[in-house]
Amino acid sequence: MIQHFDPSQHASNAGHRKDLGTPFPAQAVGTASVSLDIDGVTISVPEGTSVLRAAALADINIPKLCATDSLEAFGSCRLCAVQIEGRRGFPASCTTPVVQGMKVTTQNERLAKLRRNVMELYISDHPLDCLTCPANGDCELQDMAGSVGLREVRYGFTGESHLDVVKDESNPYFTFDPSKCILCSRCVRACDEVQGTFALTIDSRGFDSKVSAGQNDAFMDSDCVSCGACVQACPTATLMEKSVIDHGVPDRSVVTTCAYCGVGCSFEAQMKGDQLVRMVPYKGGDANHGHSCVKGRFAFGYATHPDRLTTPMIRDSIDQPWREVSWEEAIGFAATRLKAIQAEHGRESIGGITSSRCTNEETYLVQKLIRAAFGNNNTDTCARVCHSPTGYGLKTTLGESAGTQTFDSVMKADAIIVIGANPTDAHPVFGSLMRKRLRQGAKLIVADPRRIDLLKTPHMSEAQHLPLRPGTNVALVNALGHVVVTEGLEDKAFVAKRCDTDAYNSWREFIAEPRHSPEATEAITGVPAEAVRQAARTYAMAGNGAIYYGLGVTEHSQGSTMVMGIANLALATGNIGREGVGVNPLRGQNNVQGSCDMGSFPHELPGYQHVADPIARGRFEAVWGVKLDDEPGLRIPNMFDAAIEGTFKALYVQGEDIAQSDPNTQHVEAALTSLDCLIVQDIFLNETAKFAHVLLPGSSFLEKNGTFTNAERRINRVRKVMPALAGKEDWQVTQDLANALGYPMHYTHPSEIMDEIAQLTPSFAGVSYAKLEEHGSLQWPCNAEYPLGMPTMHEVEFPIGLGRFAITEYVATEERANRRFPLLLTTGRILSQYNVGAQTRRTDNQRWHDEDVLELHPSDAELRGIRDGDWLGITSRAGQTVLRARLSERMQPGVVYTTFHHPGSGANVITTDNSDWATNCPEYKVTAVQVEKVSQPSAWQQRFSAFDLAQRDYLAKAQQEVP
Amino acid sequence: MSSHHDNQLIHMTNQIAANLGGGRDEETAAAATCRHLETFWARSMKHRLVATLEREDAPLSPLAKRAVILLAEGLARRHAG
Repeated sequence: MIQHFDPSQHASNAGHRKDLGTPFPAQAVGTASVSLDIDGVTISVPEGTSVLRAAALADINIPKLCATDSLEAFGSCRLCAVQIEGRRGFPASCTTPVVQGMKVTTQNERLAKLRRNVMELYISDHPLDCLTCPANGDCELQDMAGSVGLREVRYGFTGESHLDVVKDESNPYFTFDPSKCILCSRCVRACDEVQGTFALTIDSRGFDSKVSAGQNDAFMDSDCVSCGACVQACPTATLMEKSVIDHGVPDRSVVTTCAYCGVGCSFEAQMKGDQLVRMVPYKGGDANHGHSCVKGRFAFGYATHPDRLTTPMIRDSIDQPWREVSWEEAIGFAATRLKAIQAEHGRESIGGITSSRCTNEETYLVQKLIRAAFGNNNTDTCARVCHSPTGYGLKTTLGESAGTQTFDSVMKADAIIVIGANPTDAHPVFGSLMRKRLRQGAKLIVADPRRIDLLKTPHMSEAQHLPLRPGTNVALVNALGHVVVTEGLEDKAFVAKRCDTDAYNSWREFIAEPRHSPEATEAITGVPAEAVRQAARTYAMAGNGAIYYGLGVTEHSQGSTMVMGIANLALATGNIGREGVGVNPLRGQNNVQGSCDMGSFPHELPGYQHVADPIARGRFEAVWGVKLDDEPGLRIPNMFDAAIEGTFKALYVQGEDIAQSDPNTQHVEAALTSLDCLIVQDIFLNETAKFAHVLLPGSSFLEKNGTFTNAERRINRVRKVMPALAGKEDWQVTQDLANALGYPMHYTHPSEIMDEIAQLTPSFAGVSYAKLEEHGSLQWPCNAEYPLGMPTMHEVEFPIGLGRFAITEYVATEERANRRFPLLLTTGRILSQYNVGAQTRRTDNQRWHDEDVLELHPSDAELRGIRDGDWLGITSRAGQTVLRARLSERMQPGVVYTTFHHPGSGANVITTDNSDWATNCPEYKVTAVQVEKVSQPSAWQQRFSAFDLAQRDYLAKAQQEVP
Repeated sequence: MSSHHDNQLIHMTNQIAANLGGGRDEETAAAATCRHLETFWARSMKHRLVATLEREDAPLSPLAKRAVILLAEGLARRHAG
């Protein structure tokens, strides 16, 4: 049943394999086409196309070195020279635009000689070690030498050369060998144009010219973020993946989807047998267009890490060693326990957590298992702790629980507001696209307590920073709304046509009250009134205003209110329903959008259909063949409370590490230890698994078929490239558990699960694997009305008819700084690590971030006698942990910051039980703390260390025993 | 029955009422709060919350209390129906 997608066999994707030399002309959209003659072939192309690209489209392949279609033409190598009738000399075809009636000759004796001479010069300063070169078989220089028929180098090799220059091997994933460099500048241009970091440059002049990472720094010491765009762009072995140096050039490739963040980049998994040699971002991927970040491209080694679990294990209690057993025994053990617990404590005493890292099909199956086989609605997913307020807020105001745009839409935005998001770290590929638009002149407004890196975008035009105090988002968004209304910046025509009048009038009256003015809220937010006024004007008057937001919006006691405040702002200014505008939540995990769509929440069946809706429920009951509960089930924090209380006894967790990622760790640990049966399905012994009774080995994204849905609602195929290490894909394990519980499931391939999803979920009605094969990806809603999906939502009307303004009263969080806890802690992520770090900590990404630190402003540090690198005890109302200090001007005084990528850091020991009023999404972003110098780890950390050691030992003992 | 758990439910209800209260008259706000509880809360949580109405000292805000009374009526109706 394994069906590999081969784009070369699909007409719509055929163009993505071939390098056409220069990009599709930016100004071509809607303009005339131009006809020309190339070597006697007549071809029509859009105005602005280069001669090189036009020729390539006619399958006339002009030799080239410095040109590649991911970068603007540069015209430095002179290899693509052609002759044009009526013009003098030999113009470079990459920098020559087509003209109507042009007659081009790409090959004759003179051109051949010219190209041979050019190649001869290149090769005179290039090592002739082709047979042992890692790029052998994948080298454009080699190909071009062959193509132009170079047979001799008349200059000899004794003169001055660059052949002895030392390699830079500082980056863990690629090497830089300047002896092989031809100075085509493709790496420098990729860093500038594609990634937007501007880390590379050509240093010196003439013969001394060389590619340099910053001021002669090693790559690891430079500004380089290791996205690998330069490595991909390099035509020689100068910049080369170490995995290719080690294993050789791959021999086959499969297009699949990255399992890291919610951007959902498409990749070619390049293979040798069932060994993954390298990941190369796929040019035909509509989310990423051939770009990637350090995680997706390089950090895949975890999939074959020795820590991977490969055998099911069971134990009676968590203070016992594990016992390796067969799949049958493990599943049987789990089912027997679940049934016994339900018999003793009732139907509602068990539940499960679906994974936002697993596929749509797997998530769908877990919630189906819970609703149909457990017989209750106690299902939830990690979106509870990240974007549940997005679901609530956008559904209330716009009628659909998802972002409104494609990623590409940002290229038409004139003003971009980024609130509580850090795209260059957390959504790097989209961050690069946004930076590209900022370099083109779009204005940027950042509302964030920290001075995020986006504010340091090289060559951008105008940037405004609104450094608000953590916890005051709603006061700020209300102030922005107030300015829009009171300064007459509304789009009245849009509001009249598209929005509910009563709701609008109530909101208008509310928001116009003087208490919402920037002058009145300045005392709350700390943001100067004039800055707020200017930001509102910029956004409302730009033409296309787009809002992007992240967990700095949702993870607050008023997360849902803030999401509605953002929607209000977009509605009032008419910034919704076309390209370049919209409300765009940046999703954290690869499939968190999908897990929400697939009915992971306790109150909603797949497709956001409420469990109390008798018609929707009836359709599920008919297909699933069981009666379903019509009352919502428990959410994750409710499950924890019920577990501690003793009414909730068993939990099935697939691919989710609640013990590390959820707030108030000691509370979570107390809940997990209260359970009689914890079943964990994961690829590693994660923190949650240390509290488990049944351990079911999971499969990585490379080991299964399925789909992920990214932050732009794009459904992308995940394709199996290697066998599942433990013998089963995750959906098969869930199916086995259902069968063991007496609820039959008999799928033979995930495509059959998708067919069932399409049957029951109106927004997925038109989705099938066949259609995904044909079109690459689809953005839901995809149904009879929109058979190819809907890139931009709400163009004509909202799913609820008219847009609904919501009243957004600012209610201050109860988590406040005082004399005992004078600082506010906020948490976030960094580029190299992903979420709880279970994957990235098992790769060389550790080299960039091997511990979580506490960032604090130098003035707060000075007050407490703290120096950079000191050990700090951080104490909140929930607990205490110890981290190293890093002084940082990015912070405002009074605010401290840390990441949560390492379990021993205990970042969540200090976060509290406070949560969003509507969804219980935890308030990770505001915790009142005190910090002081200490000399030893906290009591929790010491307990954690001992527990961790014991649990690893229990695992090691089980794995040593030969059954 | 842990009163800690009860208090947590009461705290959550007060929070919902505070957020849905703004800009609305009390009757509409109470109805909106009740509808929120009906839509999002698990059966066991609803029953626990309603049971706190029996307690003299339950720290429900006036608006929250009105919403919980509405919720109790709804549950009774469903039970009867």
